[in-house]
Amino acid sequence: MTNRSILVVDDSAISRKILRSCLPRDREFVVVEAGDGASGLERFREHGPDITFLDLTMPGMSGLDCLAEMMALRPTAIVLVVTADVQARSIARALESGAMEVLPKPPTREAIGGALARAEGRLGARGVA
Amino acid sequence: MSPDREAGFEAVDADILRELMNIAFGKAGADLADVLDMFVVLNVPDVQVIPAARLHDHIGAEIRSQPGISVVEQDFWGDFQGNAFLILPAVAGKNLLALLAPEEGTPATGSTDPYAAMDSLEGDTLMEMGNIIIGACVGKLAELLGTVVSYSPPSVSVDDDLGRAIRADLFEPGYSAVVLQTVFSFGNRDVKGFVFLVSSRESVQWLKAALHRFMAQYE
Repeated sequence: MTNRSILVVDDSAISRKILRSCLPRDREFVVVEAGDGASGLERFREHGPDITFLDLTMPGMSGLDCLAEMMALRPTAIVLVVTADVQARSIARALESGAMEVLPKPPTREAIGGALARAEGRLGARGVA
Repeated sequence: MSPDREAGFEAVDADILRELMNIAFGKAGADLADVLDMFVVLNVPDVQVIPAARLHDHIGAEIRSQPGISVVEQDFWGDFQGNAFLILPAVAGKNLLALLAPEEGTPATGSTDPYAAMDSLEGDTLMEMGNIIIGACVGKLAELLGTVVSYSPPSVSVDDDLGRAIRADLFEPGYSAVVLQTVFSFGNRDVKGFVFLVSSRESVQWLKAALHRFMAQYE
């Protein structure tokens, strides 16, 4: 299976570490990290990741603004929001802005594994190896 | 020595706690959004663990700029135990009441006199808000750390001095304070406040060990 490229955007180093540890261990991924929305957007432009994990609540550029910019750059981008902001309205806004799914923090291996499988299913349907 | 280290916390401990408190604040925001039926913006809380004796200096500058403070206190006990406080500008109660019960005729901008009669409705509003925020923060933290806590009913008071609003023995050596500075925005209104948890050194050591157990599952 192809080594998927993954971008993780979160201002918390602990949160990024947790997310990386939840990625399936029987596979290899090319993981790039960013510590805020602006640099996340920059990495998104540079690396064109297959899948992006994005936090919503960050200082500076918010996750929602970052998401909107990513979707404007690449409308077919697969962005999985991972957030502590579990308000129904926040979840709805993220989905309306183009997030494929919204996962509550802290993520679990099961939740991340399941979301990745669905994301890869979408990539496969588009013929992305 | 940093205040965190002085209280027996290393930088990595504080980072883990900050992440868990962010998750806990997310729960508090969602609970408040349900109660208020409006969007609640959560500012990322700054988290520090300091000797309780330093609380006055640490948050004094912020508090002193306010003409009065409202204090909601709730005790909690279990593996992790202590006293939880929500500190808000005294006018916050009137502003919150305007949001929750505009039919009561509270001025939309809040009263200019922070000591003006905190009636029972305003007191109840503050207590309910404190109960939700403290319950969500402490409860979610406990849940994430695999334990449970019990609470006393909340109490509320208005004062102009932190030292009078909080029991003096909690400032004594041997107690540490987990201090969270946060801003909740309700619709277009910002309410800036502090939540802090004052615990014994033993309880803080339990917290530190539990934080590392939490992270171990992600190693």
